[in-house]
Amino acid sequence: MDIKKELKAIRNRELSRREFSGLLSAVGVSLVMSPLASRKALAAPEDQATFFTWGGYDDNAFVKPYIDKYGEPPNFATFGGSEEALTKMRAGYVVDVSHPCNQAVPRWVATDLFRTLDTSKLSNWPDVMPELYNLEGNMADGAPYMAPVDWGRTSITYRTDLFDLEGPESWDMLWDKRYEGRIGILASAGDSWWCAAIREGIDFSNIATDESFKKVAAALREQRALVRTYTDDTTTLEQALASGELVAAMTWDSSAVLLKSEGVPVKFANPKEGALTWVCGAMMHKDAPHPDRAHDLVDALLSVEAGKWLIEVNGYGHSNAKSFDQFTTEELDALGLSSNPSEILNAGKFQVPQTQEFETAINSEFEQIKAGF
Amino acid sequence: MSDSAALAGTQPDQRPSFGERIRRFYSRSEAMRGYTLLSPTLLVMATMLCIPFGIMVLMSFWTQSGFDISTTFSLDNYVSVAEKPIFQALLIRSLIISGFCAVATVLISYPMAYYVAFHVHRRKLLWIILMTLPFWTSYLLRVFAWKVILGFNGVLNTGLMSVGLIEQPLEFLIYSPTAVVITLAHAWAAFAILPIYVSLEKIDRSLLEAAADLGDGPVRSFFRVTLPLSLPGVIAAMLLIFIPTVGDYVTPALVGGPDGLMMANLIQAMFGKMNNWPLGSALAVSMMIIVTLIALVYVWITRKLVGRIA
Repeated sequence: MDIKKELKAIRNRELSRREFSGLLSAVGVSLVMSPLASRKALAAPEDQATFFTWGGYDDNAFVKPYIDKYGEPPNFATFGGSEEALTKMRAGYVVDVSHPCNQAVPRWVATDLFRTLDTSKLSNWPDVMPELYNLEGNMADGAPYMAPVDWGRTSITYRTDLFDLEGPESWDMLWDKRYEGRIGILASAGDSWWCAAIREGIDFSNIATDESFKKVAAALREQRALVRTYTDDTTTLEQALASGELVAAMTWDSSAVLLKSEGVPVKFANPKEGALTWVCGAMMHKDAPHPDRAHDLVDALLSVEAGKWLIEVNGYGHSNAKSFDQFTTEELDALGLSSNPSEILNAGKFQVPQTQEFETAINSEFEQIKAGF
Repeated sequence: MSDSAALAGTQPDQRPSFGERIRRFYSRSEAMRGYTLLSPTLLVMATMLCIPFGIMVLMSFWTQSGFDISTTFSLDNYVSVAEKPIFQALLIRSLIISGFCAVATVLISYPMAYYVAFHVHRRKLLWIILMTLPFWTSYLLRVFAWKVILGFNGVLNTGLMSVGLIEQPLEFLIYSPTAVVITLAHAWAAFAILPIYVSLEKIDRSLLEAAADLGDGPVRSFFRVTLPLSLPGVIAAMLLIFIPTVGDYVTPALVGGPDGLMMANLIQAMFGKMNNWPLGSALAVSMMIIVTLIALVYVWITRKLVGRIA
């Protein structure tokens, strides 16, 4: 249809009202239908596997072998906490691969939403450190539910110029009354509750007892008076540390690495009670729309390239033993890592899987504490 | 015309066909035709609003344990909403923050609306559009902009420090209820300016002339004529801001800090990491009831008040 001609016809009143309405409805119908017509053009990203991961991991460098194979990155979807992610998936959100951490695995498995991985489809599987996948509740008939990918610590990032350290580094730094209103804490109980338990000297095998529960809750209540903000967003903590608004914050390894690379005088503490150690990995949805691509995605996460990005840019550990061979001992030391990863894993406190009741209980208690009760 | 043709087509002794009867009923009933015109909207309202709302009300009578939801009828959720102090405290905090926010918004919007209504004579529409211009950007972006302005090293603090008014950055500016009120007041200003402007615009100018003739100065004629006559707009604006801000969740999450959290943040947590949808639904329903009651009382009081002034 020649639009100019039609417009001219309207101006000259050659077009009857009925004809004009017909024309308008044709335009309307084609507008409504156009998303369907161009399905093919939009189809490309839909064909890729979906990776539901922590904010910050949605980086092409993390999945490079996948991009090399398919020419495009997977679809990234992000979450701020793994409980939130699980709730979304239980409500019907289907992804190919998600990214929980070890203490959540048995509960995630219990939802019947996930399947074991076929290790014969994972070319990098033989290089994965066995101590990272032989975890409680992870293996079923020799096949893992979660392929471990990244591991690291939750500890304290503090400003070496603003925080006056008395004695050795310790979790007490986050309870230091001198710095009231200058302390930042992660908003998820998955980190904060466990760190408070370490400070209270609670053995993780006893963390679910009533006595421990009360002790941890009391410690967190005491801390709340000092806290400037609780956030799931590590960028907020990093910016606040950089500006001096905060002098110390509970963070993961990556915040300290990032701030150091920007020249901010910070240190990632090695608390005398031990840091909280975690290992996270890839879990595949049982209804994953692209099972083959999902396996390729997991394989990409286990690759040496992904490891290089995790270690170099974020200061996290990787599950592939060969990833560490790309770095010198000095480089690893500077990042707070070691060429012998099990050393670090053994020095820290590993999270122990808990029941859903416990998770719900600490989450609601921590919400109350944050709100001031 | 088609009606009479249809009537003429049927024999008197022959009963009209079923389709014909429906057609006739339809063309006679004005209400039916009205509903047909409304049907797209009605359909959207029913499927997108009423059904989810019904599910939420239903769910608020269920209970959650672990991953499972028990569907037996129970009032447990409402009992804990009524009993646990955290819910009441957060609700009261939400109401206070929104109340302050409604008052603050009206106070800053009134002069703007007044200026356009009485002192702008050409291109009024352009002025109105200019005033609503900030609202063309995303809500989230505006909240972040306030974060930049109010932040520890933000525009306001650095400005005040360079002028020498303060030595240390003011910490109450961000991560506090104050920050929530400031951000919300800006975010919702357009919703106050427009109703107030409309009610000011409607005022009969001859009343102001009469007041001047009878010896009222500008201040007295404002308080005795302009303000009372613009009250309907002010009342509508207060309500328009109070109701949506009570349930706001983004602003307190981003600038509220530990003391600025509101009810909606807790409801969101219930549906997220606390994993208790039934209790979250009960909280949402209770809050809705309370806000409705407050709105009704407010409307009743202001109606009495306006009646007395008139």
